[in-house]
Amino acid sequence: MKRLQKASVLLSLIEEMRDRESWCGETNIQKATYFVQELTKVPLGFEFVLYRYGPYSFELTDELTALRADSILELEVRDPRYGPCFVPGKLRDLVIGRFQKTIGRFRERIDFVAEKLGNKKVAQLECLATALYVRLEKGCPKDTNKQAKRIVALKPHISEPSAARAVKEVESMFIEAEQLTEN
Amino acid sequence: MELAERAFRIITAEENLDSRVREVVPAGDDLVYWRRVLRMAALCHDIGHLPFSHSAEKELLPEGKTHESLTVDIIKSEEMEEIWGSLTIPLRSEQIAKLAVGQKELKDQPFNQWERILSEIIVGDSFGVDRMDYLLRDSLHAGVVYGKFDQYRLIDTLRILPETDEAGEESVLGVESGGLESAEGLLLARYFMYSQVYYHPVRRAYDLHLQDFLIAWLGGQVPTDLNAFLALTDNEVLVELSKAANDPSHPGHEPARRIASREHFRVLYERNPNDADKNPDAGTAVFKAACDKFGNDDFRHERYTQKSSGTVFPVKERDGRIVSSLAVSEVLKNLPLVNIDYVFVSPEIRGEAGKWLEEQREQIIAQLEEDEQ
Repeated sequence: MKRLQKASVLLSLIEEMRDRESWCGETNIQKATYFVQELTKVPLGFEFVLYRYGPYSFELTDELTALRADSILELEVRDPRYGPCFVPGKLRDLVIGRFQKTIGRFRERIDFVAEKLGNKKVAQLECLATALYVRLEKGCPKDTNKQAKRIVALKPHISEPSAARAVKEVESMFIEAEQLTEN
Repeated sequence: MELAERAFRIITAEENLDSRVREVVPAGDDLVYWRRVLRMAALCHDIGHLPFSHSAEKELLPEGKTHESLTVDIIKSEEMEEIWGSLTIPLRSEQIAKLAVGQKELKDQPFNQWERILSEIIVGDSFGVDRMDYLLRDSLHAGVVYGKFDQYRLIDTLRILPETDEAGEESVLGVESGGLESAEGLLLARYFMYSQVYYHPVRRAYDLHLQDFLIAWLGGQVPTDLNAFLALTDNEVLVELSKAANDPSHPGHEPARRIASREHFRVLYERNPNDADKNPDAGTAVFKAACDKFGNDDFRHERYTQKSSGTVFPVKERDGRIVSSLAVSEVLKNLPLVNIDYVFVSPEIRGEAGKWLEEQREQIIAQLEEDEQ
């Protein structure tokens, strides 16, 4: 995918997340993009590693800044206690208008992820995204208890019951997402 | 190394430790060990750079190699392992490497929170001492004042802080509220140095010629065998460049001649906010159209958008509460991001190309890329 084409997907995701009351700080976008790319197979090409609050892409952080430099995104301070939120910038219409075909192709997948993650807080997102990370690891155990234990081993501040719930939720998202990617 | 040590001592001093982050910081001998690891990591941070730093790194290093990966290779080399092992308290090379380049460059290695904070002291977007050091040094050597800021006040107010007051937040580097202005000073200095020095069009043009020279001379690839790599320094390059400029049969003669005789490429087009509103990739469009019209040899394109802003970090207020830097600093909220888009042209056809562009510019810029594949 070309850069501005990718930007159109990120913009759509941010807008859909905002519509569902997401804070849309960088962590929200990082985790949502991880699901869009890894679960619903939208080929954005970001490399994710286990870092801050679970899977994290340094390239995505760079790209979000570069999109701000190009006025495609902007930062907004909504509450002094928290980090800033991403909002569409003045070139939003130009990019969205230009890549209608791309957005149309991935619309269902973007909506799906926004629906599932839009109302989640950072701690919940960390848990779910780490569960997906574990689920996608090579040699991931089928046993859900073992998956939960692996999450706790990677992120010791996550409790085992929370990890177990996240494993279940991700498993059901997998089944739903398979139908989306088949379409 | 000196700045890293100062930052380390400040953030780990008992009186500066916020109760919410205390458990992240090791105690006793462990703390002394990590201070040494950090010092060595800071010392070695730039050890893997090619001659003339970033100039031709992408073009000359084989796929998958970067100056950071070479830094790691050198830190873990047999010769260095001997040094790390012979210290009074032996140091582990993999930990030095982690702190020296950070997780961005060592994606396959898990970092714990402490290692992440220490690597942030060196390579962090907001308060990395690598940046503090190069801004101050480059500013001095380039004879400009843009890169200066109050490093003493800034380092004295650095703290390990939770990102917000909410429970479960990860710890990062931030500042006490009294250090906010010096943090603004650092980030402004960075903005000025990037726009006025590092991405000054003449400097970029020389960089492109140097790049061309190195590629032509070295046959497109620099040796990554450590001994050969370390033997190639700025001095070897300068000597060869001087020879090449005077020898028309040298493969790097043309770019060397341009550097030596100051016949560098000039700016044909640079980013204009009105153009960028119509086409964020206006420079690419101009470059492609110019190459189609006049051929590839006389044009070069330089596009850079800032990749990390470093403007978002926690600030500890006097009452102990944490606020976002952007909520308390109008300067940081409005700090521009560097956005460079140059098309360079050879001086030989500058006039003709300039006239052509003046006539065609609007039409060229209106052409957004069509390919949605």
